[in-house]
Amino acid sequence: MSEERKSKTRQPGFLPIETNWFDRLFIAAVIWVALSLFWMRFLEPLGLSVWISTVISVVLAVIIVKKG
Amino acid sequence: MHSKKLGWLLLAPTLLILGLFGIFPFLYVVWVSFHEWNPFAANPAKIFNWAANYRKLVFDAQFLASLGVTMAFVFFAVVSEVIIGYLLAQAFMKDFPGRAFFRTIHTLPLIMAPIIVGSIWKLMTTPSIGIIPYMLKHTVGFDLNIGTSAVAAFAITVIMDIWHWTPLVTLTLIAALVSLPSEPFEQAQIDGANKRQIFWHLTLPMIRPALIATVFIRLMDAMRTVDEVLMLTGGGPGSATRYVGVHIFREVFPRTNYGYGSAVSVIVLYLTIVICWLLYVSLIAPRTRKGSS
Repeated sequence: MSEERKSKTRQPGFLPIETNWFDRLFIAAVIWVALSLFWMRFLEPLGLSVWISTVISVVLAVIIVKKG
Repeated sequence: MHSKKLGWLLLAPTLLILGLFGIFPFLYVVWVSFHEWNPFAANPAKIFNWAANYRKLVFDAQFLASLGVTMAFVFFAVVSEVIIGYLLAQAFMKDFPGRAFFRTIHTLPLIMAPIIVGSIWKLMTTPSIGIIPYMLKHTVGFDLNIGTSAVAAFAITVIMDIWHWTPLVTLTLIAALVSLPSEPFEQAQIDGANKRQIFWHLTLPMIRPALIATVFIRLMDAMRTVDEVLMLTGGGPGSATRYVGVHIFREVFPRTNYGYGSAVSVIVLYLTIVICWLLYVSLIAPRTRKGSS
């Protein structure tokens, strides 16, 4: 079954736009970079390692790709 | 199956060129951005430093300031170019004596190299010899000096960009306007629609794809402006026109800080992609219809 067909038959996710798995992966990557930069600027100086933001980003990525 | 193989075969040259000149250099820049690398230092080797360049970047006041002025530059330049470009396209759609001549003249800036555009504007704005300070001084009594006034320098770089790139918008919109069918417009006129209604409900929705494509192209171009500005103001006075492209140039070439320059380049590319994607999502992406399967 092609990706186009899959995305047509798929239940709408929580994202407000129609997406395929690659769009959702892209959104996850964008969030990962933004969160990492934000973390390095504001939270890492307080002693919170940037790896925490990476773990959060991976969890978010899984949720977005699966349910977005 | 045969047609699939043939398809890949026909795509192969494009993919090869894209890979060689697009994907590979991009991946190389990403790789370099995770290193400390000064090829002209005592130790010219690349030293892997994880995300240290990105960590430095988020605290770099000069970079953050350059990002701010770049956003302002992009906003003023692109909005002005789209509005002026549309008005010029509409003007060139009408028949008037010398239309072809004006159309050619107005397209000339487009064929100039940015460095030449910068040189021309430098000559035109130099206080002692430039025509613009001379005219302003003798007409409205305004002393234009882009070497000392931050606002004037910023405004002149925006005007220079508008002068250089508005013809691109005009040409694209002329092509879009010419291809519009005449029936809906005739119908609207018969129904009594005024010019404003025709513009908002017919012209604008019908030229939207061309308009959005033009905005994307101009936005991406404006984000990476370097040579014109470097020639005209050198990024000054102070850091008034130190746009991100100029900032990257200064990091990579005079300072030979290749690793950090690459990290800044990657983030600028990231921001450009995100801005274009947000524009795409807000303007043309199909919406999810909740409840449908």
